[in-house]
Amino acid sequence: MNGAAWLIQSLITQGVKKIFGYPGGAIMPIYDALYGSDLEHVLFRHEQGAIMAAIGYARATNSPGVCIATSGPGATNLITGLADALLDSIPIIAITGQVPSDLIGTDAFQEIDTIGLSFACTKHSFLVNSIYELPKIISEAFNIASKERPGPILIDIPKDVQLTKVEKLVPYFSRNQKKIFYSHRELKDAQKLIKKSNKPILYVGGGIGMSKSVLELRKFVNITGIPTVSTLKGLGSITENDPYYLGMLGMHGKKEANLAVQECDLLLAIGVRFDDRVTGKLDTFAPNAKVIHLDIDQAELNKLRKADISLLGNAKELLPKLTNPLNISSWQKKIIYLKEKYKWVYDHTGESIYAPSFLKQISKKMPFDTIITTDVGQHQMWAAQHMHFKYPENFITSSGLGSMGFGLPAAIGAQIARPNSTVICISGDGSFMMNVQELTTIKRKKLPIKIILIDNQRLGMVRQWQELFFKKRYSETHLTDNPDFVILVSSFNIPGMHIKKKSEIDGALNELFDQKGAYFLHVSIDELENVWPLVPPGSSNAEMIEKQSHEKI
Amino acid sequence: MKKYKLNIEAHNQHGTLERILRVIRHRGFQINSINMNQLNNDTKTMKLKIIVHSNRTITLLHSQLKKIIDISNIQIQN
Repeated sequence: MNGAAWLIQSLITQGVKKIFGYPGGAIMPIYDALYGSDLEHVLFRHEQGAIMAAIGYARATNSPGVCIATSGPGATNLITGLADALLDSIPIIAITGQVPSDLIGTDAFQEIDTIGLSFACTKHSFLVNSIYELPKIISEAFNIASKERPGPILIDIPKDVQLTKVEKLVPYFSRNQKKIFYSHRELKDAQKLIKKSNKPILYVGGGIGMSKSVLELRKFVNITGIPTVSTLKGLGSITENDPYYLGMLGMHGKKEANLAVQECDLLLAIGVRFDDRVTGKLDTFAPNAKVIHLDIDQAELNKLRKADISLLGNAKELLPKLTNPLNISSWQKKIIYLKEKYKWVYDHTGESIYAPSFLKQISKKMPFDTIITTDVGQHQMWAAQHMHFKYPENFITSSGLGSMGFGLPAAIGAQIARPNSTVICISGDGSFMMNVQELTTIKRKKLPIKIILIDNQRLGMVRQWQELFFKKRYSETHLTDNPDFVILVSSFNIPGMHIKKKSEIDGALNELFDQKGAYFLHVSIDELENVWPLVPPGSSNAEMIEKQSHEKI
Repeated sequence: MKKYKLNIEAHNQHGTLERILRVIRHRGFQINSINMNQLNNDTKTMKLKIIVHSNRTITLLHSQLKKIIDISNIQIQN
């Protein structure tokens, strides 16, 4: 067997069922080994589509996504996806072909220093210098990708190594990972501090889903009665009907969430990293609160906000040890009051479609375990604010990197991972064009993905900032020359329709949810619609700008 | 600006030194001097003595360096 065949074999041994990729010269031996093998490969039309699909797959299943690409341009096309996986801590194995070993460093055809590029955008990377290194590298790669804080791993394999024939390869078994021992002292201190607090808030994020501790968290919230706020990656962790759940906090968070955090005397931060989209001006964030920070990554503890108690550990293990009933009824009453006072009023008048209401309608109508993927921008924020998700794995959105073009391939990855779930991709007219070529993949694999395109003929979020902070100087944010989207999508054999009026919504959604196969809904909205509330850059979360009405030009 | 002395022991794999230097740069520290020696030609372990300076606190750099896979030991002196 040659190196390529050994690679396929070891991926199968690791439990990999699907890989996503695109062929090329330097990776041909691997594609030859794939031909007729037991490992299913899904062909994309751009390597970026392949890696973003791997991310969608990984996020829908909490297990590694695998993608492959050739050398040079194939590898460079993976970079955005690797950076996305790094910032959102997603387990990805990216395998790239490389020019033959003796040509490395000679500026050969389709050669680029892939390992050099990987340093800034991966958790770790490997160059396979000889076939005998392969078992150890594969084993280590899967180990590192998933352990503790997950992340992307790149494996660069020169063509000659792929072609090397070898009778037998010694299997390698990674050492058992060191268990992370939490500090009993810190745990006791945390229990005491929580018990003493009068106005605690639980601030949760991506770490909950990634540590598979959603059920422990919900039990904790139920028994303690603690009010909760969530980051973008944490949405779906807390059940929506929890009476003290305040929703998303931060730059586009709910007003009640931000105000409660500014007032709280204890911030229990679990699986979060005090990101700037969440905190606003950092030294004004939760000014009255002591902080208990629980995370698996020691580098996050005290990185941005000094923690009174830092708990290095696994949320799944530690949440049950913190679960005790609390006596905070007057704070709970305040939370109910805030939720009622600031709850969103859907009072949009006129015939045109109002995205927040529209998305809320979809959320109510869709099957409960639907997976939503989004692209990046205003539609993304509206989806986060107005839709409900069953679990964190049901809301897949590029959070840390915020990469446009993510939604469609991520939906493909998620649908392949969970073929029995309804998958809806919500996109914008800017983002949709960035990986539109992947409509071919939907056609090829007959994926029943529902695509909803919120079209304001603008690069919406940027336009909003130009309106608010750059004196309405709308530089390069007009997308008034979009193609006819329904015609474009129909050329990939995907049916669809275009709606512009509120009265058309019910019929369109019925049509969409009745479809057995893929469907496309093009939704035109007012180009001047903005996302509210908004915390301006450099401001405290208490200084939110709220809904403003403005004249249509 | 404060100066710090880093003593790092790491497996001398392909690219390890570059990873370490990249993290130092990316996290906002500048290098005053750097000395690298191979401990042992067989085991491929390297010892690095690096003097860095920055306005940022050293714990930030320390915790990020610890995450580099091939590093086995880091000691920091002010």
